[in-house]
Amino acid sequence: MGSIVLVVRLALADVRRHPSQVAMLLFAVTTATATLALGLSLGGTSRTLYEQTRAATAGPDVVALVGDSGPAVTAAMTELADDPDVVAHHGPYRIAYTDLTTRDAKASPVVVHGFAETPGALNRPLVTSGQWVRPGGTVIERGFATALGVGVGDRVTIAGRPYPVVGIAVTAATSVYPWAAQIGPGGGASDYTGLAWMTRSDTRDLASSHDLSVTTALDLKLRDPAATEAFREAHRGSGLRVNFHSWQFKAEQDAVILRGTQPILVLGSWLLSFLAIAGVAALAAGRAVRQTRRAGLLKAVGATPGLIAAVLLTEYLAVALLADVLGLVIARLTVPVIASPTASRIGDIGGPTGAVIATTTVLAVAVAVLSALRPTLRALRTATVAALADTAHQPRRRPWLTALSAMLPTPFLLGLRLTARRPGRMVLQACSTATTLIALTGLLSLSTDTSRGYGLNGSTALPNLRAENSGHLLIAVSALLITLAVVNIIAFTWTTAMEARPSLAIARALGATPGQVSAGLSIAQLLPCLPGAVIGIPLGIGVFSAISPRNAVLAPFSSMLLAALATLLVTAALTALPAHLAARRPVVPVLSTDAA
Amino acid sequence: MNEPSAVVQVRDLVKEHGQGESRVRAVDEVDLDVPEGQMLAVMGPSGCGKSTLLHLMGGLERPSGGEVWLAGQRIDHLSERALARMRRRSVGFIFQAFHLVEELSAAENVELPALLAGRSARHARRRAGVLLERVGLSARARHLPSQLSGGQRQRVAIARALANEPLVILADEPTGNLDSTATIEVLRIFEELRSAGQTLVIVTHDERVAATSDRLVSMRDGMFVDDTRLAGAHPRGLGGLIGLEG
Repeated sequence: MGSIVLVVRLALADVRRHPSQVAMLLFAVTTATATLALGLSLGGTSRTLYEQTRAATAGPDVVALVGDSGPAVTAAMTELADDPDVVAHHGPYRIAYTDLTTRDAKASPVVVHGFAETPGALNRPLVTSGQWVRPGGTVIERGFATALGVGVGDRVTIAGRPYPVVGIAVTAATSVYPWAAQIGPGGGASDYTGLAWMTRSDTRDLASSHDLSVTTALDLKLRDPAATEAFREAHRGSGLRVNFHSWQFKAEQDAVILRGTQPILVLGSWLLSFLAIAGVAALAAGRAVRQTRRAGLLKAVGATPGLIAAVLLTEYLAVALLADVLGLVIARLTVPVIASPTASRIGDIGGPTGAVIATTTVLAVAVAVLSALRPTLRALRTATVAALADTAHQPRRRPWLTALSAMLPTPFLLGLRLTARRPGRMVLQACSTATTLIALTGLLSLSTDTSRGYGLNGSTALPNLRAENSGHLLIAVSALLITLAVVNIIAFTWTTAMEARPSLAIARALGATPGQVSAGLSIAQLLPCLPGAVIGIPLGIGVFSAISPRNAVLAPFSSMLLAALATLLVTAALTALPAHLAARRPVVPVLSTDAA
Repeated sequence: MNEPSAVVQVRDLVKEHGQGESRVRAVDEVDLDVPEGQMLAVMGPSGCGKSTLLHLMGGLERPSGGEVWLAGQRIDHLSERALARMRRRSVGFIFQAFHLVEELSAAENVELPALLAGRSARHARRRAGVLLERVGLSARARHLPSQLSGGQRQRVAIARALANEPLVILADEPTGNLDSTATIEVLRIFEELRSAGQTLVIVTHDERVAATSDRLVSMRDGMFVDDTRLAGAHPRGLGGLIGLEG
């Protein structure tokens, strides 16, 4: 018990002494776990929402569609309805293909379903506002209505004729907006299309007066809802070409709108995790000397290696686990917005699953342990006397770099020698810059992306929700990556300055000006960024190509080169302040080990 | 015979630490002239302000009041940049804790001031070779500080202080971390420097160091309490100082 109290007390004291480091660890791990939880949670959300909507709207197991109308079609539909595997049916009903225009001139292809004024037992759209169809009025599917920006009481023009919107509803009989058409006119391909309902007579009048293409649809409920494929196979090859859309197919098509989203989140979470480890490890390394001395003190008073490891790791683990909880809460609050960009579905997604919680917790613990492992092991391995005397860690010697730097101007001499002291950190810094370039490549390519809009003839008056959703997430993840990279640059610079404080104080005493020291510190950060920027561009191209649709357009190479240059300039600017502050710290306290 | 011109002059020099009631005067209205070629020892108990005085003379700290002149130039109001240039040109520091750069070899440490002063790498290397030979460490030029004894490290630090041929060497407890043998080695080098006309200001607790000086200033509570002209090197040489006739 006493050991636990000691560990907690020491960890709390350390948290109070280093609030900025705790804040950085908290921020870094929270963003990483929230992004990962979001990415992993999206996997089943489309299906969950579809199933809840299907239950609430008595969604059919199969929708049979024929791109025509007439007695032969009616006979074929009647034959399907009479199949012994069918326990209930709705229809046949007309689907008319036309255009819809709102008062503010947003125009879109629309399919109008002709429904009874009193909904039946199967395919009973759920009215979420207003009322169900009545003569002369139309009900708009909720995802479509949201995209159009129309509500109950507005007027829309369908096939040139004005209709009041009397209700907004959702259904599981079609896929989410903009895939409401199911099949195109004559059974052919369909464009992005919204859904509206009218009374049967209004739909018939609309179709006949404007000579609109019509599809005949029949909703079926099977004895075995899972046996949709068998039902389709059993009715293949009859005289008419009948398209069967099963509920499983619709559930899968719903997920298409999130297809670009999940890779962005999962890949983004790994990159954020890497940056978190790099930044926190840099700060931990900056404290390594003090931690080693602390371990020496604990050893001197009889602490076991296990207790010392617990003291050194507890702070990181506690903060990382707190960040994990925060990340999961953020994911829980955000996932409904991301998982349902169309508003075509209803229901509750629920909290993160046990598997998601376990994965994010492993990630948080991994970040904490990997960040603190090296300083902890060094503290444990260092002999007590050496730890107390602060002589435990010698920087690496690179004779050829020292000789090379002797031929350079003073800021480069100092910068190159500072870089050579910590090759591991140099690699982390290069990777951090490469990660920034990956994010920037994605953002630049996003700005050149010209996805076909959902409006009439591909007009972007109605934006492409799939591209927009992915784009928003790419911007959010990139912003987090760049923020973390910026924090890392400052942390790297400050840690380098703190570690090199004795050497820089000596250089100052020997005549290096504060400006030369400051420039040297900035150069020490910039040197590893150069290879990072060089490898970041091809990596960014690879990552963007991997997570984007085939028709995605990459940003011009010249833009990427400009981004790399801008990254280096921003890095130089960001290092300037901590380098300036570090270079102007008084040197006497460092040099006066025994002040007289 | 004319008094040699003062390399270092301080007038009414004051240095205060802290604020309000906790304010302490580390150096309290001190006047001092250090003529060219003089070896001056400053002695006093710990905390009397000796090291602070040395830091003020070398431009490592700024005074709270008074003036510091180096080679006829007032330095107490110079910018940090100008002070740095002045240090690299005119001052050589030697510290009790040596303060060598751990990842650089002995030769590379000695080269450092010349490189910082913008000299070529070849010049710095040649100068380091000469200086290491002068302090008897040519054979150890490639050794890292961690591979050297305390006395050897301090001799490297002395060589480094001489790299840019400074007007004055400011040494802060140069023998404080050394055993007797190493102390003798360092004192022998100081004696050679003194003979060569090098101006030295040495802050020390060590009577043996003081005994080899031209002048001894005693400090207490930030003020000079005694200023004694000595005959110079101990009449019986360094060996006599430790009871070993040389």
